Amino acid sequence: MNFLLMHQNHFKMFLPEVFLATSILVMTLHASLLVTSKRLGYPILTLSFGKLSILVLFLTFLLVYNNPIPFMLTYQNTFIFDALTSNVKQIILISTICCLFIFEDNLVRQQINNFEYFILILSAVLGLLLLVSSYDLISLYLSIEMQSLCLYVLAASKKNSSFSTEAGLKYFLLGSFSSALLLFGMSILYGCTGTTNFENYTLLFSGIDFDNLSTAPSISTALIFIGAAFFFKIAAAPFHMWSPDVYEGSPTSSTIFFAVIPKIALFAVFVRMFQTVFAPFEDTLLMMTIVFSICSVIVGSFAALRQRKLKRLLAYSSVSHVGYLLLAVSANSVEGTQALFFYLIVYMITSLSFWSVVLSINTSTNTERSKTLIDFASVATVNPLIGLTGAMALFSLAGVPPLVGFYAKMGIFLSAIGSSLIFVSLVAILASVVSSVYYIRLIKIMYFEPKSDVSFVYPVSRSCSLMMATGTFLLIYLFVNPTLLVLLTSKMALCLY
Amino acid sequence: MSFFINEYFPILLLLFVAIALACIILGASYFLSVQRPDTEKNSVYECGFDPYEDSRNKFDVRFYLIAILFILFDLEAMFLFPWAISLGHITSMGFWTMCDFLLELTIGFVYAWKIGALEWE
Repeated sequence: MNFLLMHQNHFKMFLPEVFLATSILVMTLHASLLVTSKRLGYPILTLSFGKLSILVLFLTFLLVYNNPIPFMLTYQNTFIFDALTSNVKQIILISTICCLFIFEDNLVRQQINNFEYFILILSAVLGLLLLVSSYDLISLYLSIEMQSLCLYVLAASKKNSSFSTEAGLKYFLLGSFSSALLLFGMSILYGCTGTTNFENYTLLFSGIDFDNLSTAPSISTALIFIGAAFFFKIAAAPFHMWSPDVYEGSPTSSTIFFAVIPKIALFAVFVRMFQTVFAPFEDTLLMMTIVFSICSVIVGSFAALRQRKLKRLLAYSSVSHVGYLLLAVSANSVEGTQALFFYLIVYMITSLSFWSVVLSINTSTNTERSKTLIDFASVATVNPLIGLTGAMALFSLAGVPPLVGFYAKMGIFLSAIGSSLIFVSLVAILASVVSSVYYIRLIKIMYFEPKSDVSFVYPVSRSCSLMMATGTFLLIYLFVNPTLLVLLTSKMALCLY
Repeated sequence: MSFFINEYFPILLLLFVAIALACIILGASYFLSVQRPDTEKNSVYECGFDPYEDSRNKFDVRFYLIAILFILFDLEAMFLFPWAISLGHITSMGFWTMCDFLLELTIGFVYAWKIGALEWE
């Protein structure tokens, strides 16, 4: 059969995704037969499914890692496979494994007993993997929708909490609005050019005379719509309104997943689209990223000063981090892209470390409600190591020197200044001073605030303590020797140029 | 212009046929039927509950569940018809893609069945 031969190599490239998809289907079938079995007494599968998901993700990671072909366009150019996609996929898979690892305990404590939770996480990861590879507007849209539909349900997954339902509904409505913007932009683009494929766009726009091109303004408009949808998804500043509410309302495990994983995939696609495929339209795109970058940095820094709830604070802090990331995108150079991926990876390590601190400070009085800043009071006295880990993670987020967060911020500012974005960098640096106020205030609460109530402190789970140790080690080690990360991110960035 | 007419004439034709057909069906059922209206018959049909009630009352979510599942499996037909018509043009790739789609859909159906989404009580 010739079609099998024809698609043999394409299938080889898709092996990790196919494996993940098949595992999801098998797990769904297995679990739906098992949890309804009367003979086994309707077993609760949370813990075993957590372990199984980690195994599946690890095997997928091995398949991605062992891929033999360095570059390929598959299935009529709808998907691309190169060093960037392979590395981003590995990072996504590893960080999802870390996430699943640290919130195992939390799921049991929150009594999320449905096995669907893990299947949704795996499907979201599948959507993200496809998103990273997508090289066509249709595959891009479908994979964005696949991952965001899973995220909506993850936000609403605590059925007995009205906050969680509200978060899910809000996320769904605003997310579908942004998808509508995305589709609108795509339809204009298709109307102007008659193609949806990135390869065709690259060929079409190379060496074209833009002054005499009558459709150039419409294409710019289309790109603005597509960009707006992207900014919605990554919660950049004027479009960030959903993120504090969704972070606050969702169960903590889902919040960790939203906060850590999807950004890197979205940024990888965004950078590929805007710096290679639509590079001739860089005037429009750069103006947009610069404006959104300044907005995000300022809003993220100032709005977070007034927050009392921990998750809202972290949501605003992630808005300001998105601002720095967009600054790296606006630099529009190899150094900028390298700094972008460097920052993203460091941000993921730091957030995982800090979230495991958040998961470990459970006392008998604060498990039921969502955590406020005062729950951090005297953490450093009660458990000095957790205090130290939290302080390290926060200092790294603020960008204080003996930690790798400093290099991350420095790389972004250097690349922005290298592309003569002096004023924007100045604003971002000043805003980062403001944002370090609330990080340091949190450290002050941990070390110097006396504890006002007497409560029983739950022991720290083993997985959280492992994650905290690894995170802190990496934060210090990568400062001393950032070669590994620099090489990795340079490889990813050079792949685009 | 002739290209334009060639391309879009079937759509215009379809539009007219659709309007004519709608008029015929509606008109026939209006003029040919025996009409004995009462309050129950004239009221708006909403599945399972009174449409003009206080919106803060409880309502049965099972209707929605059934409706959503119905739409899901109904949409599958929307994919199947064009596939069946163009089966001669697409290669065996197209055939097996649809087989895969149906298989995955069946797994979804098994899930909905086993989890009790189709049960009324």
